[in-house]
Amino acid sequence: MIRLDHVSKSYTRAGSGDTVQALSAITADIADGAFVSIVGPSGCGKSTLLYIVGGFIPATSGAVQVDGRPIAGPGPDRGPVFQEFALFPWKTVRDNIRFGLAQQKLPQGEADRRVDEMLDLVHLRKYADLYPKELSGGMKQRVAIARTLAYRPTTLLMDEPFGALDAHTRAVLQDELLQIWERERKTVLFITHGVDEAVYLSDRILVMSGAPGAIKADIAVDLPRPRLRDQLLRTPRYQELVIEIGHMMDQSR
Amino acid sequence: MTRLGPVLVLLALLAIWQLGAMALQADYLPTPIAVLPDLRAMLIDGDIWRDMAASLTRLAAGFAIGLAAGVPLGIVCGRSTAVRGCVNPLLALFYPVPKAALIPILMLWFGAGDLSKILIITLTVTLPIVYHAQQGAAAVEEKLLWSARAMGFSPAAILWRVVLPAALPELLLGVRVGIVIGLIVMISSEMIVRQNGLGYDIFNAMDMAQYTLTYAVIVIVGVLGYVLDSGFEALRRRLTFWAPQRQAMVAASS
Repeated sequence: MIRLDHVSKSYTRAGSGDTVQALSAITADIADGAFVSIVGPSGCGKSTLLYIVGGFIPATSGAVQVDGRPIAGPGPDRGPVFQEFALFPWKTVRDNIRFGLAQQKLPQGEADRRVDEMLDLVHLRKYADLYPKELSGGMKQRVAIARTLAYRPTTLLMDEPFGALDAHTRAVLQDELLQIWERERKTVLFITHGVDEAVYLSDRILVMSGAPGAIKADIAVDLPRPRLRDQLLRTPRYQELVIEIGHMMDQSR
Repeated sequence: MTRLGPVLVLLALLAIWQLGAMALQADYLPTPIAVLPDLRAMLIDGDIWRDMAASLTRLAAGFAIGLAAGVPLGIVCGRSTAVRGCVNPLLALFYPVPKAALIPILMLWFGAGDLSKILIITLTVTLPIVYHAQQGAAAVEEKLLWSARAMGFSPAAILWRVVLPAALPELLLGVRVGIVIGLIVMISSEMIVRQNGLGYDIFNAMDMAQYTLTYAVIVIVGVLGYVLDSGFEALRRRLTFWAPQRQAMVAASS
């Protein structure tokens, strides 16, 4: 379980020297295996919150605990997936996926097997020897997801992962992510500003308001799984949730 | 047409040289056609190759030391504001100094031999290497570093596995600048500390009033520079084929 205990973040604005509070006493528990989205307007600090959970930036006060232990920086238990893909451009698809395994001291055969498994999982076996600049955005994000899953983190930290993709590719990747999640049941912390995306994917949605960033609502998404896009989008409950959360976002602007 | 352009410009320059030399009729400006026999003789009799080898050996030795010192220093500077704060003022102070002016001092310290000439090349090429390695290392996308940290790599492993390759395109631009200005100090050092090498050949021929020979060596130096630069550029493209190409800016300062 990931526990956020009064996590606050403030920083000094370059130039004026003013102190800006980005996050104010965020408290939440994220259950193991849950798919939790954090939605909020641009600049509400939702990505900052994710980076704190990742250990990439420190909180000004408060603490993040994983399974009862405070985090000390990043670790392979929490695997990030960024909007910018952040692939290693000098490595092929295969070697990107393999990159994190070098640290795990796996036997050669085991690493190969795991890379192949990941290539199949994200349907990229045909493209294994291409370099990132030869890939479309959707393919790049598949590689990034596979690269992170390869080292088997217990939690995926996804920072607007589909934000840079076109609508069709986004929908395809949402479905693939759901399939992977149904299979692997990892904890997912998913940052997005797309309310429909959050409702479609999540068990639970934390709605944030900005300036300073705070959790404004904590909503359980009581929609059945496995979720089938065509059915779900027609469900009144789905539409209600999208509208309700959309209103909250409008008010917090 | 674009491929033909440089050739046409070169031919035009040679034509101007030929016509100008024919009009002037001076010893100190032989025509390119008059230079050809010397050029041919030199390339065949082999002396020039021995001198070229001596020059290139020093260039290579100077470069090897420059890379060994400059790349780690530049990479660490790019990632550490503390180190950068110490190194950059020195860099800014030292970069514009014409390195050939330091040759007398190096001669005093290390004698009038190969060592001085190698060290002056090292001093010259290290600066652009440090500068560009630093630029490249400082510009590494933060999320690449975060991705590697999440995988559990140590800071040293990240420098080696992520920062160095990510900085490579920029770093190699620095190496290219180093080749151009390294060649310049290679020749000037051989003119000042006369022993052997291409710079020595130029001055030696001039001292003996063998003007066609002087021009022949200069042509060889020019061709050598072109071959080294375009050869390295080809290598650089091969090594960084994965990166988005950008225009290489080679600013020679020496």
